[in-house]
Amino acid sequence: MADLALAPTPTDTEPSGGSIGRADQPLPGWSGYRRRARLVGRYTVMVACAVLMVGPFVWMVLAALRTDADIRSVPPTLFPDPVTGENFTRVTEAFDFWRFTANSIGIAIASTILQLATATAAAYAFARIQFKGRNLLFALYLATMMIPLQVVIVPLFIEMRNLGLVDSYAALLLPTIVSSFGTFLMRQAFLGLPSELDEAAFIDGANHFQVFTKVLLPLVKPALATFAVFAFMATWNSFLWPLVITQASDRHVTLPVGLSRLNGRFGTDWNVVMAGSVISIAPIVVFYAFTQRWVIRSVAYTGMK
Amino acid sequence: MVGQTGVKKALWVSAFLGPSLLALLAFSIGPMVGTLWVSLQDWNLIRDAEFIGLDNYRELWGDEDFHRALRNTLYYLVGYLPLALVGGLGLALLVNSKLKGVAVFRAMYFLPVVTSWVVVALLWKWLLNPSDGLVNWLLGLVGIDGPGWWTSRTWAMPSVILASAWKDLGFVMIILLAGLQSIDESLYEAAKIDGAGAWQRLRSITIPMLTPSLFFVTVISLINGFQVFDQVWVMTDGGPAGSSTVVVEQIVKNTFTFGRAGYASAMSVVLFVIILVVTALQLRMQKRWVFYG
Amino acid sequence: MNTSRNHRTGHRLAALAAALALVAGACGSDDDTGDSPAAGTETTDGSDTSGSDEEVTISYFTFSAAPDHLEDLDAIIAAFEEENPNINIEPQTASYDDYFTSLQTQIAGGTAPDTFELNYENFVTYARSGALLDLGSAGIDTARYYPLALEGFQDGGTQYGLPATFSDVVLIYNTALFDEAGLDYPSPDWTWDDYLVAAEALTDADAGVYGGFQPVSFFEFYKSLAQAGGEFFDADGNATFNSEAGVAAAEWLTSKPGTVMPTLADIGGTPDFDTNLFQSGKLAMWHNGIWQFNGLNESGVAYDIEVEPGMAQQANAVFMNGVVASADTEHAEAAAKWIEFFASSPTTVDTRLASSWELPAVDDEAAFASYLEITPPQNRQAVIAALDNIALPPVIERQAEMQEIVGQALERIVLDGADIQSTLDDAAAEVDALR
Repeated sequence: MADLALAPTPTDTEPSGGSIGRADQPLPGWSGYRRRARLVGRYTVMVACAVLMVGPFVWMVLAALRTDADIRSVPPTLFPDPVTGENFTRVTEAFDFWRFTANSIGIAIASTILQLATATAAAYAFARIQFKGRNLLFALYLATMMIPLQVVIVPLFIEMRNLGLVDSYAALLLPTIVSSFGTFLMRQAFLGLPSELDEAAFIDGANHFQVFTKVLLPLVKPALATFAVFAFMATWNSFLWPLVITQASDRHVTLPVGLSRLNGRFGTDWNVVMAGSVISIAPIVVFYAFTQRWVIRSVAYTGMK
Repeated sequence: MVGQTGVKKALWVSAFLGPSLLALLAFSIGPMVGTLWVSLQDWNLIRDAEFIGLDNYRELWGDEDFHRALRNTLYYLVGYLPLALVGGLGLALLVNSKLKGVAVFRAMYFLPVVTSWVVVALLWKWLLNPSDGLVNWLLGLVGIDGPGWWTSRTWAMPSVILASAWKDLGFVMIILLAGLQSIDESLYEAAKIDGAGAWQRLRSITIPMLTPSLFFVTVISLINGFQVFDQVWVMTDGGPAGSSTVVVEQIVKNTFTFGRAGYASAMSVVLFVIILVVTALQLRMQKRWVFYG
Repeated sequence: MNTSRNHRTGHRLAALAAALALVAGACGSDDDTGDSPAAGTETTDGSDTSGSDEEVTISYFTFSAAPDHLEDLDAIIAAFEEENPNINIEPQTASYDDYFTSLQTQIAGGTAPDTFELNYENFVTYARSGALLDLGSAGIDTARYYPLALEGFQDGGTQYGLPATFSDVVLIYNTALFDEAGLDYPSPDWTWDDYLVAAEALTDADAGVYGGFQPVSFFEFYKSLAQAGGEFFDADGNATFNSEAGVAAAEWLTSKPGTVMPTLADIGGTPDFDTNLFQSGKLAMWHNGIWQFNGLNESGVAYDIEVEPGMAQQANAVFMNGVVASADTEHAEAAAKWIEFFASSPTTVDTRLASSWELPAVDDEAAFASYLEITPPQNRQAVIAALDNIALPPVIERQAEMQEIVGQALERIVLDGADIQSTLDDAAAEVDALR
């Protein structure tokens, strides 16, 4: 039957992908019918999958607008009746979600900037400066990619305690600066640039800093963007460390942690919990809507490396 | 290449590498060493620590809760990986075309990936609510009496697995899609000429050519899977009755609820070693099954 | 006034004190002479001398004030600040569920609040952890407290805190639901069987109305164990809750979800699920504490209280909260002053009694008379009557782990239908391993 889900065949009406699929003349009659059926079939399956992937989010938004009675009604109705915005009020009354949002945004941006700065600089050193022990040091960087945060939270906590930073913005921010992955990524990017560029600049009297900022950085913008996207998303969604380090109060709580506290407070009052969830993902979904092409491309790019 | 030598170079290297290396030492390598050290102590973070050598490890060896956590973590991986890979592959094959609007679909499938685990876990907790959640209602429509999901000791872990695989389908899809699009078309043509059917083309060409991407996804998923925490903490809190507890959850609980930082650190070390060993094994076995064309 | 009531009140309070004596003896240390512990408050910085003119701010962290008694707390703080113009009190509140995680993190993180609230069952853990300040004998009028309530916040002979309140758990019932069904109200000599009969008659699951809600938890378990005539620990400290009485108690607790109360799945771990259920008039009988009264009065639901039904004997849960100071505080003397004021000043006593904010642990029979006058609930006398038979929480140093072991054992029984005897046996072995 229609081999919809299998390797693309040359009978698609349009060429698919660079080297996959041949342009073909649409033929009338029987093969044209089959082709159209395949097309419709494929779209149907794609739409079905879309319902599966995005549907829950729609359901979540609907739930956020339901009353206490409505949320528990069985069988579930498609649209809330009546529609109410009171859950959002209940959320913000219970917790200062505006503050949480601000905290999340602030930390994510700061972390991304710091990661970009430190990792790219380090990558430059690894890619462009010959020095003793360079390879060994880089191997060390790679090795630390294997140390997950989960394994070091206890000593990290102790470190913050000794620095007097428990439950502070600094504590939220500092551990996120470590980005071996980013260093790796940027080093790859720099290695792809011809060293003649550096040499020319040095001959003109530039120093390393100028070569770095004026010559090389502008040429690795795609990689930088990839890095920035990853860094931002990872920090935005991080949960374990913020959970642990902000347990003492509500002042520095970020959105994921705030949402889990909401869950603790409201448990199975799903309409309120979903309202909190909507608030929590709204910023990132908006961000994603505008940048999704970049994001997806970045992920694919990493997969290739 | 052109550049200064000696002291000047050392200064430049320090300037560029310094911040990054400092952060690494302070927040990654240093704490790693710290974890080792704390794991040899009995410490509640308030009193002075007391050196007890390998006692924490001995206790871990016989700790039923920790064993259960390890088993559950493995259970998670065994359930999550196939689901994510097969589902992701299916999606990748589906969107591997130039049909109009396919980019929109790709973006939609990828949406769950950008949201946080907390949101996904809560969303699925609601969907899988036994009494009035959507899933059980749908199951009821086809005559299946839905299970207790996250309220049931048998179904708690599967609930977590389901939500996790769903979230990551988009990620796997994109990675595999990139792999698919780099497969040489002529291979398929040759196969077709030989009379190979669609299934056979999938098995003999697509999947083998995809093994590098599959390998990448597997390694990443394993590393992340061993550290699973967010969704368990939020969806089931390790319950009911400890049936979905995982290693990182035990670490957090032992540190902050039971006040046993030393014991928790020993758990961390064990977890780290397991991740190292598994990853090393994977890299070793790469040659066996990954086909770099 | 009704002098016979005061008389009985006095007796019951004495009984409470006696019970505390028993337990304090069991879990306190051997060298408990009851004398005031040694050494006055050594202050680390010389600026905090008595009568100093420097302004000092003390933080106070509490779980019992929110959400119903914030105004009472503010009133007490205002009165204290008036008497002590150089000391400011900065209150921090958290709900009970979040409180101990936050506290633990603050202490471990080096930012412990100057003073904070601890309940009886967690006190030992914190006292032994090195987190608490020795209050010394700095100006504490020990005569004001039940001597044995005082001992509840001592460890190894050192006074680490002052008892601030006690409260007990009673049977709260919805009079309207009973009236509608034409059933007799609960009486003091009810047994579990009487309770079950009424609960079943009052349950209408389709309408979402339930007959009797008793959480399946560590706290309800040790109390039911006592009601069934059993003991949590024996005299040598071995876990004995897997006895016949323990099995009966576990059976009693785990048989109710899904019959006369919602299933654990329905509750879904939502805190205050039962409070909301009762306040919306959908619950006939509720095992909960006197701290609920204010909330219930505000919700307008028609209710009254009675002593909980027993089985082999009556046993009622009594909780005590105390106030302690952090060992790391920089203002030890000011902290001690605040603690004492908060625990037992006349302002505190009056404020608490007037708004039913738990009962002050002071040796003052006359004060309680006014408490009994306030209604609803009509049968306030039951609060005092419950003190005739007390079941105090079993306490060990590794309290949190013990509570988790027992809690999980009970969950397993409810959810898996696990064999009660063997589950309790395993749990007892695990608890023994903690000591």
